[in-house]
Amino acid sequence: MNRRRHTTEPRREAKLTRRLFVSAAVVGLLQALLPGTGRAFGASPPGKLVIVVNRDNPLSAIGRRELSDVFLKKASRLPDGEIARPVDLRADSPLRREFSEQVLGRPVSAVRSYWQQRIFSGRDVPPPELASERDVVAYVARNRGAVGYVSANADLGTVKVIAVY
Amino acid sequence: MAMVLAGTSLAFAAGAQTNDGDTTTAVDVHGFVSQGFIKTSANDYLAHSKRGSFEFSEAGINFTKSVTDDLRVGFQLFAQDLGPTGDYRPKFDWYFLDWRFRDWLGIRAGRTKIPFGLYNETSDIDAARVPILLPQSVYPIDHRDYLLAQTGAEVYGNVRLGAAGSVEYRAYGGTIFTDPPKPPASGISVDDLQMPYVYGGRVLWSPIDGLSLGGSYQALRFDWTYQLSPELLGPLQTVGVVPAGVGPSLATKFRVKLWVGSLEYQAGPVLFSAEYARWIGEFESLAPKLLPPHVVNERYYGMVSLRVTPWFTPGIYYSVYVPNVEHREGRESHQYDAAVSFRYDLNPHWILKLEGHYLEGTAALDKDLNGGVEAKDLTKTWGMLLLKTTAYF
Repeated sequence: MNRRRHTTEPRREAKLTRRLFVSAAVVGLLQALLPGTGRAFGASPPGKLVIVVNRDNPLSAIGRRELSDVFLKKASRLPDGEIARPVDLRADSPLRREFSEQVLGRPVSAVRSYWQQRIFSGRDVPPPELASERDVVAYVARNRGAVGYVSANADLGTVKVIAVY
Repeated sequence: MAMVLAGTSLAFAAGAQTNDGDTTTAVDVHGFVSQGFIKTSANDYLAHSKRGSFEFSEAGINFTKSVTDDLRVGFQLFAQDLGPTGDYRPKFDWYFLDWRFRDWLGIRAGRTKIPFGLYNETSDIDAARVPILLPQSVYPIDHRDYLLAQTGAEVYGNVRLGAAGSVEYRAYGGTIFTDPPKPPASGISVDDLQMPYVYGGRVLWSPIDGLSLGGSYQALRFDWTYQLSPELLGPLQTVGVVPAGVGPSLATKFRVKLWVGSLEYQAGPVLFSAEYARWIGEFESLAPKLLPPHVVNERYYGMVSLRVTPWFTPGIYYSVYVPNVEHREGRESHQYDAAVSFRYDLNPHWILKLEGHYLEGTAALDKDLNGGVEAKDLTKTWGMLLLKTTAYF
């Protein structure tokens, strides 16, 4: 009697194990296949991107990796020694996506994950996220160490465009 | 305590604002709330999971402020419940003064997260990863009190190496305030726990975009006294496990050295990581037959995730834990864990996750949580399903 109970129990548990594992896989795959259930974080095509700094900043060019370090706050100063104040567009901005992939070398989702790690481990906080390119231009015009990115057709009269090499 | 913490938070939060970027005088405020569910087909793991458990909750809020361009201060309050641990008791998860006067040299003092491997200091942060449970071989969630944070100081920096990329280093030293460890058997109690030191460091080299290679080391020592009950002491002395004349108090030093080698590579939507670790424990006492003088355990995993769309990211990992490298036979001598995870970003501040595990071995199971049943008598092959949702800002 006892032996019978011992042989059926592990079999039942193994069956339950398989069911749990398979159900997790099936539900996840269904979510992947169902169209339109997720929220896309951006839709329109990006324009040509330029890097802008304050007009009083003597900087005329910056390396891509240096720029990446500034936006990931691995570098706290610009190459000319000025305290860096990077400024981002919101995560759903097409221009942000372009900047992230071209300059930071990773998708916006990976950058957001990087900042979640930094924020909740007390390492640092991300650059401010502004709603529009106009806000970015205004911020850069106000702050000497500011560096931002906007599209080339934005109103750039109050800021300076620098090259990226 | 909760009142004090709440009062402190409110005081700090007075005048707090979100990070809109116009001023360094602003206080940055971030927080998260998580609720999970855990169910196993057999064996209780982390909580009373066999019947299904919602005792899997976390909440945290942090405040940071740049006092000057070089000086930052901040703290995080954290409360959790995971089976028998946590019980929603809020505590200061970390707090610090951070003086970064060069990119290659900064000093942080206070209670700081321990940089061990790729993810130790972010192991509470559900939003920062795909799986619900990080590979438990290298990041055991029930070791949180011992491994997550230390109170002392840390130096850190980021050094650019030109074409060779950059190196981030961190080195720390201090102590850990924690509750006494669980006694090894009934009839034994633990008192007078102290940790004279913990120190260690991590070096992460990023030769190209997306690739990180690193190594971490940590050393610490626990001192405590075992109190052996007379009912236990007599038989132990009779069989020679405890020498005659020793006890009932047994002073013990427990030295632990941990190292891990790490690799992470992000290529577009694909994230791959792998780590291999060994933890070495050495007991020093007058009863070496009772407490093994030298134990080495082995821990490693490989993990990959793929961001299919901005809102859906599946991932898998395989994790191995061997508590004693010299004894690998038997279900209690290992725990192999194959996991598949699905992360669903409902919006930029709310995620839902689903995860399935297929496990073989019982090495990481807690005897007390399993009604006193020894690991060798628990079910060898078992499964686990987890659900978790997290909101964060």
